[in-house]
Amino acid sequence: MSLLTVSNLTKRYHRGDKTIAAVDDVSFHIDSGETLALAGPSGSGKSTIARLVLRLIEPDDGRIDFEGDDFLALNGAALRVRRARLQMVFQDPLAAFNPRATVARVLDDPLRIHGIASRSERPRRIAALLERVGLTADLAPRAIHEISGGQRQRVAIARAVATKPSLIVLDEAVSALDVSVRGQILDLLLDLQRQERIAYLFISHDLGVIRAIAHRVVLLDAGRIAESGDACAVIDAPQSAIGKALVAAAPRLNRTKQDAS
Amino acid sequence: MSPLRRFLRTPEAVAGAILLAVLIAMALSAPLLFPGDPQAIAGPALLSPFQDWSLPLGTDRLGRNVLAELFHGARTSLAVGLAAAAAALVVGAVVGTLAGFAGGLVDEVLMRITDAFQTVPSFLLALAFVSVVGSSLGIVAIAIALGTWTGPARVARAEVLSIRERDYVAGARVIGMHPLVIAFREVLPNALPPVLAMSSVIVAAAILTEAALSFLGLGDPNRVTWGGMIAEGRAVLRTAPFLSIVPGIALVLTVLGVYLAGEGIVETTAVRRGLS
Ligand SMILES: Nc1ncnc2c1ncn2[C@@H]1O[C@H](COP(=O)(O)OP(=O)(O)OP(=O)(O)O)[C@@H](O)[C@H]1O
Ligand SMILES: [Mg+2]
Repeated sequence: MSLLTVSNLTKRYHRGDKTIAAVDDVSFHIDSGETLALAGPSGSGKSTIARLVLRLIEPDDGRIDFEGDDFLALNGAALRVRRARLQMVFQDPLAAFNPRATVARVLDDPLRIHGIASRSERPRRIAALLERVGLTADLAPRAIHEISGGQRQRVAIARAVATKPSLIVLDEAVSALDVSVRGQILDLLLDLQRQERIAYLFISHDLGVIRAIAHRVVLLDAGRIAESGDACAVIDAPQSAIGKALVAAAPRLNRTKQDAS
Repeated sequence: MSPLRRFLRTPEAVAGAILLAVLIAMALSAPLLFPGDPQAIAGPALLSPFQDWSLPLGTDRLGRNVLAELFHGARTSLAVGLAAAAAALVVGAVVGTLAGFAGGLVDEVLMRITDAFQTVPSFLLALAFVSVVGSSLGIVAIAIALGTWTGPARVARAEVLSIRERDYVAGARVIGMHPLVIAFREVLPNALPPVLAMSSVIVAAAILTEAALSFLGLGDPNRVTWGGMIAEGRAVLRTAPFLSIVPGIALVLTVLGVYLAGEGIVETTAVRRGLS
């Protein structure tokens, strides 16, 4: 059985007396240790799906099964406990942390909340987490705004893996980083996936990145699934109109195609 | 430029700080300079100021030392002003945070209560409370806070409404943090700057309200208060106007000092950044 199964998920927003379906009857699944990419033009509902899967907002319709349980049926303390298994990395790592926080506090929170390590043990755990994502332990006392964007995104990944999740949702997690840092972060994600069999729901508008990291891709258009399948196959030969348009708009892909021909 | 240097270059802020420093010095030194009961008889009644240098500001109708009363009155004003403002800010921040963060029914109920308190003029509220409960220093402070917490509550709520949409709040939910912990540990501290920016106005208003209550004879009867002194002097306003003028001036300078110094701090530190 799949790790995450999303069935007929629908989320509508009301604007004045108009109703728009930000997510419209969307179904997909992710297996353990697999990366599923979500792509689509701006406003196609990618972030809304991420927030629905994370139970940050509630759907109007549909079903989410996570680790064999009806995820939408969980509430209160039971939901908070289960959140350890389903984590998130945001696009802007500066906005993703309390502006007053230090690196140590950001990593201490999940360890404390989920009772993963005792108070005396936590500093060592924090150091280990920092090293796990390629940082040094002396970063711990620094304020979040005192470290670089790339370091910050590594801290965000460290926080996400602190609770040993089976799935991490990454919403444009590498989009704000410059190209060299982006490559390093993608390598880190691949490495974590290999070692700990973490699945990713990877949201990106960059088809080049998706090709490099994702096993399968789902293309969205106006809240609906336009096309889905093996990441390389879909990107190399898109069938849907929106897929063709996205590929045509991706400069790097065009170049590799020309090189190949 | 550091905030302190900017503060020192603002003349009105410096003036306010000096006034405030004098007030605090008076309040702190009162029991040292004028030990014993400031309400005890110290000399002949209605002695004019600058006649007897052991009683520089003269005496009142009962022969009490006006200067001693002034110093001890500073203590009362400052204590009540600070206590009332602190209570109003704490209650306002907590109510505003709960309303803004919880939303829905909780928000509805809390804001209705806030509306109700705001509809009644705060002075009437304080008056009614003190009349019913009686008057000690603490009660007077609570009575004043009762009418002033609504402003901080509204400001805190507005700030929380915008902060609650930020990614880091979603991040705190994703790691399984309890909503109350998110509200008070993650959101409230970041909503505080604009709330704290109101504190000088609130302290100044609280000092004035305390004086007004004392003037009406509703202050703590065991304490010297400037409002009470002004009321005392009213009976002999024609023959001995200084008895009302001296505490009146002290009150005006205090309120001015608190306001100017507070605004100076707000202007010159980053406190107002939260508003922009
Ligand atoms: N809170 C909201 N209220 C009303 N409409 C919303 C809300 N959140 C999202 N929408 C709408 O839902 C649609 C999907 O938005 P969403 O943020 O999921 O798009 P996206 O695919 O993530 O876009 P982008 O690539 O720009 O991040 C958009 O039309 C958006 O305007
Ligand atoms: Mg988005």
